[in-house]
Amino acid sequence: MTKFPRYWKGLLAAGAMLALVSADAAWAAEKIVIGAMYPMTGRAGRYGIDSVSGAEIAMEEINAKGGVNGRMIDIIFNDSKANPAYSVKVAKRYISEDKVNFLMGVVSSAVGLAVTEVSKENKVIFVGTDHASTALTTEKFQPYYFRVSNNTYQSAAAAAFYANDKKEWKKYYVIGPDYEYGHRTWEDFWMLLQKKRKDVQLVGQAWPKLFEPDYTPYITAILKAKPDVLVTTFWGGDTVAFIKQALPYKLFDKMKFYNYDGGGNYELLEAMPTGLPKGLILSARHHLNWPNTKLNQEFVKKFKAKTGRFPSYAAEGAYAGVYFIAEGVRQAGTAEDPDKLVAVMEKMKIKLPEDPDGFTSYMRPIDHQIVQVQAIGETVPNKSYPPATMMLGNFKVYKAEDIIPSEADIVAARKAVKK
Amino acid sequence: MFTQLIGGLTSSMTLFLVASGLTLIFGVGNVFNFAHGSFYLLGAYFAYQLVSVTGIGFFPGVLLAALCTGAAGAVMELFFLRRIYGRGGEEGFQILLTYSFILIIDDVVKMIWGTDYKSISRPEILDGAWTIGDLFVPRYDAVVIATGLLVALGMWGLIRRSRFGRNLRAISANREMASSLGVNVPVTLSFVFGLATALGGLSGALSAPVRTVTPGAGVEVIIGSMIVVVIGGLGNFWGALVGALIIGEVTAFGILFLPQWAILFSYAVMALVLVFRPQGLFMKQGVAK
Repeated sequence: MTKFPRYWKGLLAAGAMLALVSADAAWAAEKIVIGAMYPMTGRAGRYGIDSVSGAEIAMEEINAKGGVNGRMIDIIFNDSKANPAYSVKVAKRYISEDKVNFLMGVVSSAVGLAVTEVSKENKVIFVGTDHASTALTTEKFQPYYFRVSNNTYQSAAAAAFYANDKKEWKKYYVIGPDYEYGHRTWEDFWMLLQKKRKDVQLVGQAWPKLFEPDYTPYITAILKAKPDVLVTTFWGGDTVAFIKQALPYKLFDKMKFYNYDGGGNYELLEAMPTGLPKGLILSARHHLNWPNTKLNQEFVKKFKAKTGRFPSYAAEGAYAGVYFIAEGVRQAGTAEDPDKLVAVMEKMKIKLPEDPDGFTSYMRPIDHQIVQVQAIGETVPNKSYPPATMMLGNFKVYKAEDIIPSEADIVAARKAVKK
Repeated sequence: MFTQLIGGLTSSMTLFLVASGLTLIFGVGNVFNFAHGSFYLLGAYFAYQLVSVTGIGFFPGVLLAALCTGAAGAVMELFFLRRIYGRGGEEGFQILLTYSFILIIDDVVKMIWGTDYKSISRPEILDGAWTIGDLFVPRYDAVVIATGLLVALGMWGLIRRSRFGRNLRAISANREMASSLGVNVPVTLSFVFGLATALGGLSGALSAPVRTVTPGAGVEVIIGSMIVVVIGGLGNFWGALVGALIIGEVTAFGILFLPQWAILFSYAVMALVLVFRPQGLFMKQGVAK
């Protein structure tokens, strides 16, 4: 038996490894890698898990058609834990170790504000798919950030139009969770409505803590104030709990219930197969049954087939995010040159499931905020999306251009911060 | 005004059911069970499973949910907590162990029932409210209040009037002495744990039709209960009742007059109690002194 000198073996092994590594590197260069972060635990877990499925649907569709410029899309997912410090670590690891081409995701605006700093520092484009704080596109704007879902200003602006038309709504009461999102969503709306109407009046406000389990004392206090309309800026389970607890007090017979940013999310309609009152005025960033376009129907159908349930609105945001990236790469002809990508992406138009016929969402160069229509509806009986027995209907649609802050406002807001 | 009082009373009773279990475990077993809120959560999910999925009817479902929760609690005591009694630095182990159970229970719940919001309907007869002029008493709230009072009464009977209660008080006063006098301490402790977590489960099951059933809901409850227990005096059963009544009503009336400051009230009460009576309103540790 021939004896190989020891170092030969080592040499052989090293050679084999080198071959493997270089093959792997070549493969990696061909793929477009997206590092995604979504909360998969805790209260926002549903949004995260739906976002993952939405993104996967987009990836499968694109890859089935041969990818982008011949390159496949690959998405790495991680739990953001809805925690800014933790997500920053994940984002940095994505960039340094996984060599991702794009960052995508996050549901919490606090996480978004943290990750956008990593994106700016490393010049890696960050596509925001569901967090809504206006700050990301105004005061905290940086060129490598893009948002493909509406922000709170847009839904508040649409809501102000809607409320302006309701001449009988004069006395307002607001209740919402006591943190940035709850307050900002209300303040934008109230500021805009007061510009349109001089005869509206705020008769009371209450700010329970986020995830407050018991609203009974608030409900009785609201009834005592006798408003015409109750604005709420709750999201998710807080809306469900509030409605359940307000039902025996017949609150919904005595005033209008208005939740224009997150109230119309499917998870709420689904959580109350019995007892959800008719005529609640709600909206969300995506509706299952509006617009009635082929693209939207297909998306909802595919999601149902893949997961066995209907999507909450976050899913469509993530779906849009992947398509936005793919289209950017296709037009720029590269996934590696961030500045070239930014130049293309900030002027991009992209047709999404939430676009009605005759409208295509587009990116605005000044703030990298996608411009989209917003539809506000009211609950009506509809059993097409079980287990929900009520869906939104009687939609009023607000034009995209009317509900975005003007470019002058953006410039002014940024200047105010710099001072 | 009266409507506000009833609303506050409902909150009080839900809090009391959770807090009484927390304080009972501390008083008798000298364990601060951080995971107690998770048993509230389990109770809510068991109720969902039994009432909405299996369909055995609302009241049997709630009762059975409480029993199942108690069984889960007893299992936790029997297989886990029991191993750390009397170890050096026991408190550290307790915190680690009970806190980890929050995470474990949350994740198990998520694996079984998913992350979407579950819902239970109230039985139809309890859907509405009784109205007398301006007065407004939701029927379901009346049931919750009645249950809370019944439990308080039942616990009073159990602790003050039964042999078992005497054993409890003995263990609470001095575990070793009680043991050497022939009280079966381990069995009693498991039973107390089961009973206390069943109360938490009952609270969760009763809350399921009016609150959010979602992973993580236990954490919000445990904080409120801790405030109640601190105000009432750690380990004092009646302290929990009085603490819950104070917190429920102070919050209710605070909201009526100053809704912007809603979050402040319960903490303000706690801070005042801690400054002027750090041991809690009811003196001395121990059950029902």
